[in-house]
Amino acid sequence: MDRRTFVKRTLSASIGLGALMKAGDVFSAFAGIPVPYDLVAIKGGEPDTMFDEGIKALGGMKRFVKKGDKVVVKPNIGWDVSPERAGDTNPKLVARIIQHCFEAGAKEVSVVDHTCDQWQRCYSNSGIQKAASEAGAKVVPGGTQSYYHTVSVPNGKVLKSAQEHEVILDADVFINVPILKNHSGSRLTMGMKNLMGNVWDREYWHRTDLHQCIADFATYRKPTLNVLDAYYVMKQNGPRGISVNDLVAMKSQIISTDIVALDVAGAKLFGIDPNEVRYIRIAADMKIGRADLENLNIKRILM
Amino acid sequence: MTRSSWKRIKNLRVVVALTFLTLFTILFIDAWHLVPHEVTTVLTSFQLVPAILKAVFVGGAVTIAGVATIIVMTLLFGRVYCSTLCPLGILQDIIIRFARKVNKRKRFRYMKAPRWLHYSILAVSIVLLLFGSSMIIGDLLEPFSNYGRIVNAFVLPLVILVNNVVSDILTRGGVFFLYTVPLHVEGIGALLLGLLFFVTIAYLSVNEGRLFCNSFCPAGAILSLISKISLYKLVIVENACNDCGACDKVCKAECIDSSKKHIDFSACVGCFNCLRSCPKDAIKYEKRSISDIMTSDVDFDYDRRKFFKDLTIPAVTFLAVPGLVKGGGVIVGEKEPIVPPGSLSIYHFTSVCTACHLCVTSCPTGVLQPSLLEYGFAGMFQPKMDYSVNYCNYDCVTCGTVCPTGAIIPLDLATKKLVQIGKSVFHKDDCIVVSKKKDCAACSEHCPTKAVHTVPYENGLFIPEIDSELCIGCGACEYACPVTPNKAITVTANPVHLKAKKPKVEKAKPSPATTPEAFPF
Repeated sequence: MDRRTFVKRTLSASIGLGALMKAGDVFSAFAGIPVPYDLVAIKGGEPDTMFDEGIKALGGMKRFVKKGDKVVVKPNIGWDVSPERAGDTNPKLVARIIQHCFEAGAKEVSVVDHTCDQWQRCYSNSGIQKAASEAGAKVVPGGTQSYYHTVSVPNGKVLKSAQEHEVILDADVFINVPILKNHSGSRLTMGMKNLMGNVWDREYWHRTDLHQCIADFATYRKPTLNVLDAYYVMKQNGPRGISVNDLVAMKSQIISTDIVALDVAGAKLFGIDPNEVRYIRIAADMKIGRADLENLNIKRILM
Repeated sequence: MTRSSWKRIKNLRVVVALTFLTLFTILFIDAWHLVPHEVTTVLTSFQLVPAILKAVFVGGAVTIAGVATIIVMTLLFGRVYCSTLCPLGILQDIIIRFARKVNKRKRFRYMKAPRWLHYSILAVSIVLLLFGSSMIIGDLLEPFSNYGRIVNAFVLPLVILVNNVVSDILTRGGVFFLYTVPLHVEGIGALLLGLLFFVTIAYLSVNEGRLFCNSFCPAGAILSLISKISLYKLVIVENACNDCGACDKVCKAECIDSSKKHIDFSACVGCFNCLRSCPKDAIKYEKRSISDIMTSDVDFDYDRRKFFKDLTIPAVTFLAVPGLVKGGGVIVGEKEPIVPPGSLSIYHFTSVCTACHLCVTSCPTGVLQPSLLEYGFAGMFQPKMDYSVNYCNYDCVTCGTVCPTGAIIPLDLATKKLVQIGKSVFHKDDCIVVSKKKDCAACSEHCPTKAVHTVPYENGLFIPEIDSELCIGCGACEYACPVTPNKAITVTANPVHLKAKKPKVEKAKPSPATTPEAFPF
């Protein structure tokens, strides 16, 4: 798909979807069918079973993935650590999301991240390479600049352009699958921070204004869906962690189409006031998403 | 045995030689890190000088078995090593073969070579080694390392280029079977010097065959000495030889004088060309009795006396050289290079490393890069940690595992994680947090031990702070620091490696929200 058709399709899809949802609201108001949830929070299950429940509550993966779609699932695979260290997204969750995409009719599902540690070691030792390929996904390398192409970020205040991975540029559906962690630079890493793995030149973000750039990039493309892995949560020494002692088992998961709402809920779950995380504040001010969880339609599931 | 059966044996020798050459080449062009480390260890155990060094500094059954095999092989049949296992030797054979295709009239002829020069170079290089420089035995003359450097500098980049072009084409078609590999081409100085080495060796081999092997090569010298007492020896059977001179012309070692029915077996590289060429089957392996070996070898007696005489003078003369070499070992450049974990100290590393660059090819992150003169002339080409390229992966012990000489001692992962090869130094005024009043923390984010962590600073910002005792000098912070042109956090070498403190292990406290009943929103 070239950029032009991409823009056209995204535009028409969002207009169409918007109209549909509006119609749905009216329809459901009459028929007594509940409006779709803005956010689903699940607790007490396994990473994969929690996703099963959560996506069911959101109306199933078919709502997000259409037949023949090209899907990119973007976990956090930043570090060369084993799954029990929870430095990277839980591989079981990644695999289950991929399965749901295929069941919904996806033509192709790719998994990619611009890792921090050496990418092959991250892909393999995180367990994600194995889990994702067994689930039928293409595990796409992201370790060299040649895969990344410049895109403009028109609504960015500081970040005006970025180089994004071609497989993401080419995707019809983008599913963001971060893991909740303490982060020595940005306080917390969740939905918006995870998008740093979509781009090549992260140094520019760090050098310029990390929080503003994180928020700016979230204006560029709204993920179709965000799934926050909070099964094991790294409470300290993040984002890489030193040992399993850094973790607390929260056995939780948050799913939302609104990346800001997801991060606000994630911060609260972690135990930090979302206002203390500057990129969340900026994103809320820039109206990238909703920070007022109290006004959102939230489904809470205890398993 | 007849000429035709020797032809078969010679062909077999070529097959064995090409097999080993291919295997060694694969080690040096393995840009994808596919070769299992065990295979590397076994293969390099059959490289004489590296394996002897490793046997001394590390030990290990495989290495010792490798050295023993080579010695026994030589004790039996002479220097067959030079024509089967030595990659530089086989490379020369290939060059010679092509040169002969171009110029068919070119012939070898017997050369009364000054063997004492060869042994003296070996003696001097051993003396230098004892004084802590592997310069001559390793960096300059060791054949495996020379071969490795040639392949690493000139072939590997081509392999990577081809890989990247093909992977780019496949990627456009949505196939990610191959991936682009970062290409690090050496500096022009290193490349030119490498080229000079290659051209010299190629020139020598085209004109004088295996002259390098018989005048400079330390492995050749060691094996030459051993072959003097080998059980089987190639001789010309006087009655059968008709002085046709066919053997002289094909002898790459230029060690056959058929007019005098003489073969200088200590220079013979065991290529079997002569055996195949002789129309009269007049050359044969002759078994010698023990007494024969000990007494009747005039050549040996002569050489032994002459050897020690010739050796003493250069050895004494060159005793002054280690001092000079250590002078040449003065670190060139602003700061001392950082040597990889397992190399104990800059001294140990530069003393034992033969600059084969196997660690450079094998390093998964590419942090190990060849130096030029950063270690001084004595440590020419030896690898160093280059944090502008990448950083040392915390959970990795590859370089020590593959190092064929013991310059980098193999470590288990737990030990490696506590080896402090350098220390991070924070240049606070250059840090983004101070200069731009913005959060960054790329350094602490990458730090595997949290030696680099962040603490509250003005206006709710967080600034890096270093706990030097926890720092292992891996360079992750320096690599990740986005400040240009001078990084705000850099690693200073520990000339002698130290032990870092174990990272703090405190159990994380659960959030108030971990109660199963409710969500905090």
